[in-house]
Amino acid sequence: MTVTEPHPARPAPRFVRADGPDKVTGSGRYTADLSLTGVLAAKFRYADVSHARITRLDVSAARAMPGVMSVLTAADVPDVRFGPFVQDRTLFATDVVRFEGEIIAAVAATTAEIAQRAADAIVVEFEPLPVVTDLEASLATDAPLVHGDWADYGSAEVVVRDRNDASFSSITKGDAAAAMAGADVVVSSRYVADGCHAAPIEPRAVLAQWEGDKVTIWTSTQVPFDARAGVCETLKLPANRVRIIVPHLGGGFGGKCGFHYEAHIAALARAAKRPVRLVFSRREEFLAPDRRREGMIIDITTGMRTDGTIIARSGWIAIDNGAYTADAGFFSQLAAMHVAGPYRVPNVSIEAHLVYTNHQPSGSVRAPTAPQACWALESHTDELAKAVGLEPVAFRKLNAVDTGAEGPSGQTYDEIGLQQCIDAATANAGYGQELPDDEAIGVAIGWWPSFSVPSGAYVKIDGDGSGQIITGAQECGTGAVMTLRQLAADELGMAAEDFQLVYQDTSVAPYDMGATGSQTLFNNGRAVVNAAGQIAEQLRKLAADHLEASPDDIVLADGHASVAGTPTATVSIAELAGIASGGELLIGHGSGQPPGPPPLVGSTCVGDLGMAAFVAPQFSCHAVRVKLDRDTGVARVLAVSTAHDSGTIINELGALGQVEGGVLMGIGQALTEGTTYDDQGKQRNAAMLEYKLQTCADAPPINTHFVQIATPDAGPRGAKGLAEAPNVATAAAISNALAAIIGRPVRRLPMTAERVWETLNEEAAR
Amino acid sequence: MSLLIATTLDDALAALAAGARPIAGGTDLVVGARHGKAPLPASLVAIDRIESLRTVGRSADGGLVIGAGVSHHTIETDSTIGAEWSALADASALVGSPATRHVGTLGGNVMNGSPAMDTGAPLVVFGAEAELASGSGSRRVDMATLWVGPGRTSAAADELCVAIHLPARAPRSGSAYLRLEYRRAMEIAVVGAAASVTLTADGAVDSVRVALTAVAATIVEVTGLTGGSVADVAAAAEAAAADQATPISDLRASDRYRRHCIGVMARRAVEAAARRASGETIAIPVNRAVGIGMAAGAAS
Amino acid sequence: MSESIDRDLTLSVNGIAYPVSVDTSRNLLSVIRTEIGLTGTKEGCDDCECGACMVLLDGQPVNSCSYLAAQAVGREITTIEGVMDGQELHPLQRNLLEEGGVQCGFCTPGMIMSATALLARTPSPSDEEIRIGLSGNLCRCTGYAKIIAAVRRTADES
Repeated sequence: MTVTEPHPARPAPRFVRADGPDKVTGSGRYTADLSLTGVLAAKFRYADVSHARITRLDVSAARAMPGVMSVLTAADVPDVRFGPFVQDRTLFATDVVRFEGEIIAAVAATTAEIAQRAADAIVVEFEPLPVVTDLEASLATDAPLVHGDWADYGSAEVVVRDRNDASFSSITKGDAAAAMAGADVVVSSRYVADGCHAAPIEPRAVLAQWEGDKVTIWTSTQVPFDARAGVCETLKLPANRVRIIVPHLGGGFGGKCGFHYEAHIAALARAAKRPVRLVFSRREEFLAPDRRREGMIIDITTGMRTDGTIIARSGWIAIDNGAYTADAGFFSQLAAMHVAGPYRVPNVSIEAHLVYTNHQPSGSVRAPTAPQACWALESHTDELAKAVGLEPVAFRKLNAVDTGAEGPSGQTYDEIGLQQCIDAATANAGYGQELPDDEAIGVAIGWWPSFSVPSGAYVKIDGDGSGQIITGAQECGTGAVMTLRQLAADELGMAAEDFQLVYQDTSVAPYDMGATGSQTLFNNGRAVVNAAGQIAEQLRKLAADHLEASPDDIVLADGHASVAGTPTATVSIAELAGIASGGELLIGHGSGQPPGPPPLVGSTCVGDLGMAAFVAPQFSCHAVRVKLDRDTGVARVLAVSTAHDSGTIINELGALGQVEGGVLMGIGQALTEGTTYDDQGKQRNAAMLEYKLQTCADAPPINTHFVQIATPDAGPRGAKGLAEAPNVATAAAISNALAAIIGRPVRRLPMTAERVWETLNEEAAR
Repeated sequence: MSLLIATTLDDALAALAAGARPIAGGTDLVVGARHGKAPLPASLVAIDRIESLRTVGRSADGGLVIGAGVSHHTIETDSTIGAEWSALADASALVGSPATRHVGTLGGNVMNGSPAMDTGAPLVVFGAEAELASGSGSRRVDMATLWVGPGRTSAAADELCVAIHLPARAPRSGSAYLRLEYRRAMEIAVVGAAASVTLTADGAVDSVRVALTAVAATIVEVTGLTGGSVADVAAAAEAAAADQATPISDLRASDRYRRHCIGVMARRAVEAAARRASGETIAIPVNRAVGIGMAAGAAS
Repeated sequence: MSESIDRDLTLSVNGIAYPVSVDTSRNLLSVIRTEIGLTGTKEGCDDCECGACMVLLDGQPVNSCSYLAAQAVGREITTIEGVMDGQELHPLQRNLLEEGGVQCGFCTPGMIMSATALLARTPSPSDEEIRIGLSGNLCRCTGYAKIIAAVRRTADES
């Protein structure tokens, strides 16, 4: 990669992304930019109804249309039910359709227009089934079943299921009921959050081509290895015959996690004997993927002593799973942890249900369950503070976890920086200052685990001394993969610019979980350091021979290997690489041992999917200044102050970008972004004009402070994850600012202008 | 589909007489066609290169003639419009995005006939007239006559809106347009209101007109308003607007909320118009110059 | 002279004349991407709502998804591929990278086109003018702060 030399008068450039020049010049290719000779266009026929039995499916007219090269339905692919937690999904609807975006058939034709006409020409007749949209009603024992055959489905062993409850989880510690009965003050709250969307600006695309018995699939996925596993499972192929390549990825935010349409397009391409390409419209992007953020009902009750010490918390959570479980199986436990919160709570009893409905399936969108649960818990926390007459920040300082404290699930924390986060964020926000009576600063704290998983990378140095990092990691925009260059360079005494990256190609690089769970730098960073360390060892040996010194005395710095204390005894790494190219090549491979889960003491979890123990937990505090138009309920965020403990920050510019983007997404979730459904479970606002992302004109100044604690048993140099954590506490802080202005919380998310206005009116009516 | 890029009005009118439909910026038409609202007409005539439609000029009586092809960008930045017909500049400055405002035209907005159009309420309070031309001559119609329903006008198929005529402003007059919006940009009016106010020498309201956006099948004018103190007139406008609106419930807002907010917008429009009438400068657009719409950095 | 446009038309993109043969109902975006083969201009919403498809038409920003290709005949179209100064990055491109204003990059070409138009008509914009000038370009990654900083720096340097 070439980076333009900086203007002599300007400050030295900080982090410049290796993929940056591609992206600012328009030369970088995204999946929809790719084509192949003879490529066909794919279109899907969707159910367009939320719950019905298919009584007739006739594709003969579509198949007969000129230009149509293949039409596939469930009858044309292996009969496989899949799903990481509950095997409740098939590639195509078989008998019953359970949400409007369910795929009934797929068409490949010579043009997109013909493919669409053919998809429209497929005859489908339905017998309507009762539509389940209400979470509480869905849990009733006599509720219509979303999956009549639920009991016959396979599922992961630890998943606890019953009828429309796809995954039940509970956290129990101490005796919450007894403690609550003995509490001086008890506060109960209900909060209800709507679902919302990841809404990456790039709609997804897939391009598949077969050569012999091998298929190459270019796809806009965040998780190429997961996508490969899905193709292999559903089309019954071995992993080494499926190659997933991700061109530049135009954002994901979790929406492009999981396995989506790669198998459909591969199957079409095999049937048509031609390459096939799918490009989603924005409307499809809203309706079809099984990755929207889940709606939730959250009941929380907290018991306190009169001094504000929390002694018990109970909770009941219903999470909208939608029609299929996708990767949401662990959401019930994760939501329970977020309703328990980063507080010292000795007695805990929280139950969470992942509830089937006939809505679009939910899935991991940036910090799944956390923004909604944190919004509920932290709004509740301000109610608690009010009930005992404490100032909200002081209340949090009193009850929040700290180094050495025990959290709600019985985990005792190593050195953590939550208390410092609260101090920094509130101080930088000017918390406590006099404000106009239509303004307030709301404060919320949040947490999020780091995900410890296996991950691999290779590093090589070629004969000219230039380096390559070949990694299974996936770059979705965060810069995490880009930062790997710095880690390798530091290990080898080279410059980040000395390295090129080969990434997101499953046939080239070792496994990585993908751009999900904020895990890239955390896990793949360890792998790259490991791989580069092997080369460093080789270089030290080569240099020792060359300089007639001991390998232990060789220092790698500034592109040279030198003898410690004898700067004149030095050789360039490029020269050593040249020597190596005639003998033992400079190749390193690494994966590194992922840290294990911390122990839990005194708690029991039903439906334990590993979320009750937070590896290298991240903490945050957001303080948000909000102005409210009392006449209309329109709220505006004026300024945001954040503080994050994500351990050591390796790339500050990239880290700031994660926080700022997460905050703005949080503002959208708080005020303008929410999916609305009609009474048949169909989305009413599946368009950018009606589903309102924040614009540049709305963006407030964001001040960020990192509390940097080098964390043991974490990522490279004591780093934790970061990409999801900034999305956790913003909506909650906005809620508390609004409640401070109004005098009571807005109990629906998003807190739209109309809902704020209704809350204002309820207050006036009192 | 056939397209004629017209450079003269006569060519455009001839094409209309032969059955073509006019296209200016094309935003509404092209987006609408892609969303299945209405297919693109088989024959189009592009009118965006007819220079005579792209001029803004004073009329003999001190009024203004704005060519139908004048862009929202021109209107929002035109100093004369900003000073004397401020409400129209307020409205054009809120349309869509900068790109939409460069491509989108006043004539396109008016003839699209949406009850949510931002420029409509200002034109009503100014007593504007649309000039419709065809091969057989031209006529002027007031806005209430022009708009007959959502997306429908009384213009004949061969008539082209060539200009909007704005009467001269009286001394001590001011105007403003405000809308309810959930974001500071890229919005469509949930509700909106325009007011034009003329003050007496001692600062009371001598006459007032108020018109409402997105609360009925077309832009509607509030009736029954009379002069008085600014506060009284603003309060009367709030009550009358809420009373006379016939809003619907949709996914943008409930009818109840719309009815409340149209009153607020009407009151604020009268207040801002009166401030402007008294000689105060409020930047274009009012929405971003006062209150909740101000820039985040500017508020503290 | 009024001109009747049929299938065969010539579009001038980044100073190069491209003859194309397309149905006149085609939008400019699809013709630029498919017929002309410049894929830097993106499709994000097909609705005029995201700005990923922004190009300049005689220097003014236009959502190419909602503009007929045939209407662009005789006008100069500038796409992201026409922004570089020879082999050198335009200062705006360089500043976006150095300020950290690029993450996934999908909104970046449209953002650059809008910023270019903004700086051409308002060489020293206020922060509010930058915010409004870029308000038609949605970005989901950055929170906009670093994009605003890059535009600010570009204005300050020129």
